[in-house]
Amino acid sequence: MQPLNRVKQGRYKIVKIETPCRSAHRRLMMLGVFEGDEIELIKPAPGPVILEKSGTRIGMGQGLAAGIMVEQVKEDK
Amino acid sequence: MEEKQVILTGNPNTGKTTIFNALTGLHQKTGNWPGVTVEVKEGSFTYEGINFKVIDLPGTYSLTSFTEDERVARDILVREKADAVVVIVDSSNLERNLYLVTLLLELEQKVIVDLNMYDIARNRGIAIDISHLEKLLGARCVITIGNKKTGIETLRKTIYEVSKQEKQLTTTKINYGKEVEEAILPLENIVKDISSPYPPRFFALRLLEKDIDIWSHIKGQSNILNEVKKITEDIYNKFPDIERYLIEKRYGFIHGLAEECTKRIDVIEDKIELTNKLDRIFTHPFYGTLLFLFFIWVTFNIVFNWGSPFTDILEKLFSFTSINLKRVLFSMGCPGWVISFLTDGIIGGVGSVLVFFPNIFLLFFIFAALEDSGYMARAAFVTDRLMHKIGLHGKSAIPMILGFGCNVPAIMATRTLETKKDRVLTILTIPFMSCSARLPVYLLFTGIFFQSHRGSILFSLYLVGIVLGLLTARLFKRLFFKEETPPIIMELPLYHTPDIRDMLISAWERSYLFLRKAGTIIFAGVIIIWILSYFPLSAPYAGENSFIGIIGGKLSPLLRPAGFGYWQVAVALLFGLVAKELVVGTLGAVFGGEVALIKSLSSIFTPLSAYAFMLMTLLYIPCIATIAVIKQEVGIRWAVIATVWSIFIGWLVATLFYQGFRLY
Repeated sequence: MQPLNRVKQGRYKIVKIETPCRSAHRRLMMLGVFEGDEIELIKPAPGPVILEKSGTRIGMGQGLAAGIMVEQVKEDK
Repeated sequence: MEEKQVILTGNPNTGKTTIFNALTGLHQKTGNWPGVTVEVKEGSFTYEGINFKVIDLPGTYSLTSFTEDERVARDILVREKADAVVVIVDSSNLERNLYLVTLLLELEQKVIVDLNMYDIARNRGIAIDISHLEKLLGARCVITIGNKKTGIETLRKTIYEVSKQEKQLTTTKINYGKEVEEAILPLENIVKDISSPYPPRFFALRLLEKDIDIWSHIKGQSNILNEVKKITEDIYNKFPDIERYLIEKRYGFIHGLAEECTKRIDVIEDKIELTNKLDRIFTHPFYGTLLFLFFIWVTFNIVFNWGSPFTDILEKLFSFTSINLKRVLFSMGCPGWVISFLTDGIIGGVGSVLVFFPNIFLLFFIFAALEDSGYMARAAFVTDRLMHKIGLHGKSAIPMILGFGCNVPAIMATRTLETKKDRVLTILTIPFMSCSARLPVYLLFTGIFFQSHRGSILFSLYLVGIVLGLLTARLFKRLFFKEETPPIIMELPLYHTPDIRDMLISAWERSYLFLRKAGTIIFAGVIIIWILSYFPLSAPYAGENSFIGIIGGKLSPLLRPAGFGYWQVAVALLFGLVAKELVVGTLGAVFGGEVALIKSLSSIFTPLSAYAFMLMTLLYIPCIATIAVIKQEVGIRWAVIATVWSIFIGWLVATLFYQGFRLY
């Protein structure tokens, strides 16, 4: 399990979202991102982190990404 | 003609503006909603002999009261009781977009779901079963491709049909699970009797979500409040994070719905790949910053360089009209004050409003391109790191930088910021960004007193402005907005080519609003200055015995501690209120021409007091146009605060500087 700002481009499963900021977490949920979801990391840190979840592309600062704990999803191909 | 009302709503980046433009054409204006600082546009179209008034709400994800946009959207929805509510939905993103739809259905609105950007969905391999979706949602659905004007006629027809229905069709309800439903039911019964514009179930759900606005409806009624609290506290014990639970339930419902109604077909994904590549460059810490600076440079050049020929033409036109009108009126034997009123007052006043128009129009044209193409959202990330430390938003950087050109369009550019707090704080910093109108003053004084160090003196002034602007933002954030700035998180739309027609409409709407609202204040300000300069009739124009000269004389002792306590200087600063470049012209007039001016300035100023005076000019007050536009954008209160604050800071900094260094 690693924070989203420490991992490379690829597919991940969100294990836990830990952010002290209520409104940022709320915004994440509004955009349809929940614990347990699979996401695609499009642009990793450094700089802002960009992820995609079922067609929605979401950008966030590194601080917030540091609070999103993920696990790599093994590609079956 | 029969009148009906339609509301347009939807998530950001769903092509809502394009649909609005396609529906209403040029019959639109930026609406004037009391207390609303976000943009609400109005337009109209006629169908089957009925005039449909269309209200275009700001893009929102939800209908809570946590952000300004959402609160505005919700307030207008419940107040207007529209005959139809069209939700613009990004077809390629059904799940996320349907979230808002479910809230609107709970709000018991007559919803039409507009599946927009259907071509993009097809390219991404998504096909939607419309009739099945209609059945499951209990709301009419329409397919459109806004930028190709496809489906607009069907949308009009559907709006017409839905507006004839008495009530919404749906009986579909999201089931929030036994325990929560058992709390909703008694809550509904309690709130049924209080007068609120919301349907009971919607009201009950927002109570559970701890929505402050909704709770305030029952604040005064202690028996109701107690009953409600008993139920909600019980639920909060069972579900510590009830808000998240409800959102997840809603998403669960939508997920099932989307699964049933969408089909995967063959994928054509070039656009996504392109967007991925561009995103990696545009938000890259190094290349992204370089590109950001390049885009700013281009924007600056277009807004101010392309704009200046038009501004010059307008200025020439006004001075030509003014001179010739003077001649004609003089030969007709008009009294002097009438001539001066018509030329210096009226024409001068109209002129000082219109000279801003080319720049503002170009600015909003470029801004529409940056926003529509999707770049603006990326740019916010580039600057966010620095801005966040100061307590501002990533999107604050662009308006601040534009302030170096002219504060007026810069303040209007803060419209891209989403919350009022961010807008106000950014707007407060902008008057300290040294606009181009202050440059003539610096040039005059550095030319006389700092021949050999002109560059570094100029640079130091710009720097002082930036530092004081940022300190102002920090201070006012502490004073007025205590809550922590949330970390940046934003949806990033796919890049696409902006539509020229949409850009032109957006530029025209926004610059017309400037003419209409700020224009009148600027005009009035110019007339007042004219009256003060011209009267009493016995005194020469703006002379020592004119009203403005008398006021200048009274003010000059206040300026003495800063090293320039002369009535002429005070009058020049008063004229600077109209436009800061007038400071030079006025000094020229009161000291009698350019040669005399340089002589007089070298005798009454020292290098030290000259620098103090330049600091004063930089900081002392936003010009009338800036004050007017602050009032237009965020209200009279902040316009007054910005004015008083900058006068105080300007005087304080100039005085401290002069007194501090005088000892050496």
